[in-house]
Amino acid sequence: MVHALSEAHRVLKPGAMLIDLRPAARNRRVEVELAEARLHIGEIDSANTFADHVVADDTLRSALAAGQFQIEHRASFELLTDMDSAADLRKYAAGLRRSKVPETMLPQIEQLTADVEGDYIIRLRRDMRIARYRKPPNR
Amino acid sequence: MAIRNDVTGQERDYLLDMLGGDIGCALEIGCGDGRLTAKYAALAAIVGIDLPESLPDAGRGAFPERAEVAAASAVALPFQPERFDAAIFSLSL
Repeated sequence: MVHALSEAHRVLKPGAMLIDLRPAARNRRVEVELAEARLHIGEIDSANTFADHVVADDTLRSALAAGQFQIEHRASFELLTDMDSAADLRKYAAGLRRSKVPETMLPQIEQLTADVEGDYIIRLRRDMRIARYRKPPNR
Repeated sequence: MAIRNDVTGQERDYLLDMLGGDIGCALEIGCGDGRLTAKYAALAAIVGIDLPESLPDAGRGAFPERAEVAAASAVALPFQPERFDAAIFSLSL
């Protein structure tokens, strides 16, 4: 991460901006929205990625302290991903590299939605962070 | 069957707000299959990089015509110094 940030600094013009978009150190929440209710099903376990966020934050703090970048703005928001079926969630889970969908979650959703074909949404809620930094004009 | 990302448009709105107006030439670090690249391409000539295994196997995935895509490591960027007006770490820092 230190090298990636240094490389970004190298290829940026003086006064250019750097955007950091990434998830917060928190699990995605999984819900099923039925016509009459929203049910919290559980969480996708991303705990083994949380240490990376600490390292990234430390790296950015060091870059700021060294004057490589200046912070301009930060914000957080919730990224919502909708799926039409448990098969979609299965496909989504297969694409996850370091996070894990609990084994019980898919059967639970299939059971819940068995009698309500097409009349539900599986929704993932993921907390995101975004920040804008600026490379000083004289660096 | 479908997976729909950013259904409320929050991600798009925050990105566009952070980027501001037209930003010239931008580098997306960690472009993956190009899910976010099209959003950046609305504001910049965009160059997306990622490791070869993270890029789509065939075709251009979701990359817009305006985007260049290259297999490269974030720790050894194959670009001249001071080339870009913006760099974006897309879930990659």
